[in-house]
Amino acid sequence: MTPLLRLSVWVALAGVVITPLVMVVSLAFGANHLPMLLEAGLLDAAVNSVVSAAVSALLAVAGAACLALLVDRSDLGGRGAVRLLMLTPLLVPPFVGAIAWTGLLTRGGLVHTLTGWAPWQMYGGGGVIFLLTLHSLPVAYLVVSAALARVPDDLELAARAAGATPRRVFGDITLPLVRPALLAAFTLVMVSNLGDFGIPILVGSPAGYDTLATMIYRMLQSGTVDAPLQVTSQIGIVLLVLGIAGVIVDRLAARRPVELEAAGQVGTPLRLGALRAPVSVVAWVVALVVTLGPLLALLTRAILPAPGVPLTWETVTLDNLRRVVTAPSTVSGVTNSVLLAGGAALLCALLGLAVGVLTTRAASRTSAGMLFTVLLPQAVPGLIIAVGWLILGRYTGLYNTGWIILGAYVTAFTAMVVQSVRGPLAAMSGSLEEAARLSGAGPLRSLWDTSIRLALPATVSGAALVAVTAVRELTLSVLLVSPGTQTLGVVIFGYQQAGDYNASSALSLIFMLVGIAAVALVVPRGSHRRRRWLRGTSSMAQGVRV
Amino acid sequence: MKAAGALVTTLISAALLLTACSEPAADDGGGDGGPAGDQEAGTASGGGEAGGGSITVYTSEPQEKIDEVVAAFNEGNPDVEVQVFRAGTGDLKARIAAELETGEVGADILLAADAPTFEAYKAEDLLLEYTPADADALLESVVDPEGYYVGTRVIPTVIAYNTGAVDTPPTSWAELTDPAYAGQLVMPNPDVSGAAAFNAAVWLLTDGLGEDWIRALGENDVLVAESNGPTSQAIADGSRPVGVVVDYLVRDLAAQGSPVAVSYPSEGVPYIAQPAAVFASSANPAGAQAFVDFLVSTEGQTLAVEQNYLPVRADVGTPEGAPSMDELHLLEVPLEEVSAEQGRAVDLFKEAVLP
Repeated sequence: MTPLLRLSVWVALAGVVITPLVMVVSLAFGANHLPMLLEAGLLDAAVNSVVSAAVSALLAVAGAACLALLVDRSDLGGRGAVRLLMLTPLLVPPFVGAIAWTGLLTRGGLVHTLTGWAPWQMYGGGGVIFLLTLHSLPVAYLVVSAALARVPDDLELAARAAGATPRRVFGDITLPLVRPALLAAFTLVMVSNLGDFGIPILVGSPAGYDTLATMIYRMLQSGTVDAPLQVTSQIGIVLLVLGIAGVIVDRLAARRPVELEAAGQVGTPLRLGALRAPVSVVAWVVALVVTLGPLLALLTRAILPAPGVPLTWETVTLDNLRRVVTAPSTVSGVTNSVLLAGGAALLCALLGLAVGVLTTRAASRTSAGMLFTVLLPQAVPGLIIAVGWLILGRYTGLYNTGWIILGAYVTAFTAMVVQSVRGPLAAMSGSLEEAARLSGAGPLRSLWDTSIRLALPATVSGAALVAVTAVRELTLSVLLVSPGTQTLGVVIFGYQQAGDYNASSALSLIFMLVGIAAVALVVPRGSHRRRRWLRGTSSMAQGVRV
Repeated sequence: MKAAGALVTTLISAALLLTACSEPAADDGGGDGGPAGDQEAGTASGGGEAGGGSITVYTSEPQEKIDEVVAAFNEGNPDVEVQVFRAGTGDLKARIAAELETGEVGADILLAADAPTFEAYKAEDLLLEYTPADADALLESVVDPEGYYVGTRVIPTVIAYNTGAVDTPPTSWAELTDPAYAGQLVMPNPDVSGAAAFNAAVWLLTDGLGEDWIRALGENDVLVAESNGPTSQAIADGSRPVGVVVDYLVRDLAAQGSPVAVSYPSEGVPYIAQPAAVFASSANPAGAQAFVDFLVSTEGQTLAVEQNYLPVRADVGTPEGAPSMDELHLLEVPLEEVSAEQGRAVDLFKEAVLP
């Protein structure tokens, strides 16, 4: 029976992972559009992509390291709350973050409305880097913080006893030990930021700052290119090469991991001394601004009737909220997103569980290849997956249907379930299955009654993560929508692109609050379990590791 | 690890395996995209009963406005299910081009942009010939004499300004090149917006404006927003107090309380008519024609006026704050000239004004 299962899983993987990606690559090699692309600014876009991804990753890791030291290792006031607040960007889709922050800082935004002073016209490269940093800082923090927790206390204590200053201890002991984690966080974040679409399209493009991702979108949407799919496939190849380079760097860096036994106790907190009060205040201000700033900006735009209207009690209205909630496009957007997310969760759960079981419990020579195939899309920017499905849709007649969006979701998100399931399955001993076999159960039955049952909770939480991720997704669906299949993300994006900022803010606000509530429901109870879950899922949600 | 190496080899070998695939081309079996494929379509008359079924509308109308139109249409035609796909005109054209490559257009109706776009589709035999029920009552200039498309609203592009920041607004296009407006101006991108592309051609062809004026505008540090929506937003929130934008957006915002007003330039205003046409490949021409008929009917045009559009017929009034149709000085440029010059105008604009 297992060979049959294995075969069907391979067939499924061939359909949803291998074919779309091969489509992109093969189409790209079909003709040479390079001269045209170079003229259209391919080089600038590539440079912008690399620079924005690398600089934001650098800043995110540096910020994450500071944050980790402060909230994990120091006697900062109220550090638990600061940590929680600084993690909130994780709950907000990047494109909603972009809508919110431009609504906070630019002319016509919240600060401008209140004070008459607009702090920052953030359109352009600087704004893109700022937002990418902000949205990847939580992931970087979770990676760094995990490593920091494994630095043994006794090493630091020994150094202190030998007379080293805290600074020496940090530089000579702690930093070298967490360096691999810093590097890992850097590549993780960089590869993921390379493929981000929402932030550069909303904040970069208006100022003419194109990245490879926005260039793909423009080429597909402008109607000025002769062979748009082939052209975008070739841009996709550039992205793919950059992504692979990132993964290779990551693998090289991970080659010499520092093996650390988990310390029995957490290191002694770093005493901030006289700096404690000012540092705490700064940390709290930053954490509150990061959390509340965008939320308030969305709220203001949502309750003001139109741009340029002063904020007073008389001008406040719920009209925007009411009209976006009742608009037919929103209703169908919600329906589509929920259906697609539910369908993706179900399919990813089935496929992910099967792959998880086959690659841990019924190992064979093809297991490594299977695992590699299913995890591969995490190294591939979402837009490329979307282009692959676009091409596939054209060949198969699925174009202009919701099926290609569903397909793209399964391609992109199955890895989440696999990673969620493999942990518990790998940790299980084989004796349960053997016992089942000895009691007379067939191979599938014994798998079903032991491993699969035990892996079900992990499957469910992986599927829930898929659903939460898919429901707030923009990058894939923005290229794949057709009449009647607009997703919620695309509806919000559409309002913003059409210049109806009051509507886009109103819908973003609702979206953000519902999203936070949903994540709060999905996240396991208990602070230890919650942190472990967050750590596991955040790296998956960023979708990069192979 | 070998993972990365494996990834590279997998993809390269896959590529070699399938090298030189070309884009999926038009499948010849499809055939029904051509005008020959539609049978009773050509004979269906204007005001006929819609019957039922579903129709798909590709439009660049703002989402809420088209939602209202569909709701009003469904009051009289409850059996026709209307599917709307809203996007910018450029996006719609790209989508239609892509759909033509592999099969037929996914829409029954196109309601967007400007007459040259429709002229091009007409030339490719993509549109269904028919005359809307009320054609005689409409402005002569918006009805295609050959009967393939019909304008549904008069949308002039005007100068708009923020009343909080500007006391004496510019009264002519020429005035916008005054250095006093450097850094103050915003306008939509002709590369993205169909209306803006049309306007660029009209300006280029208008005496006293032309290439010199566009180049001088470029010297004035104009912020080029993606489309008309963000342009009106920038004017209203004061970040760019003077701008070039379609007039109905200004009336929309003013009605909601934004400090904006319209200035009609003395040289006259370029305008588009947001034409509607039924695709020849429509599977439900009766339903599609009923929808287009509704757009230009007294009822549909009354709704258009309520939505702050200037109407294409004289018997429904004009929106509050808008000039009456005979007061309006429209820049009329022959369609063929606009079609011929549009490409050059957009290129010139990109070179002179875009950053």
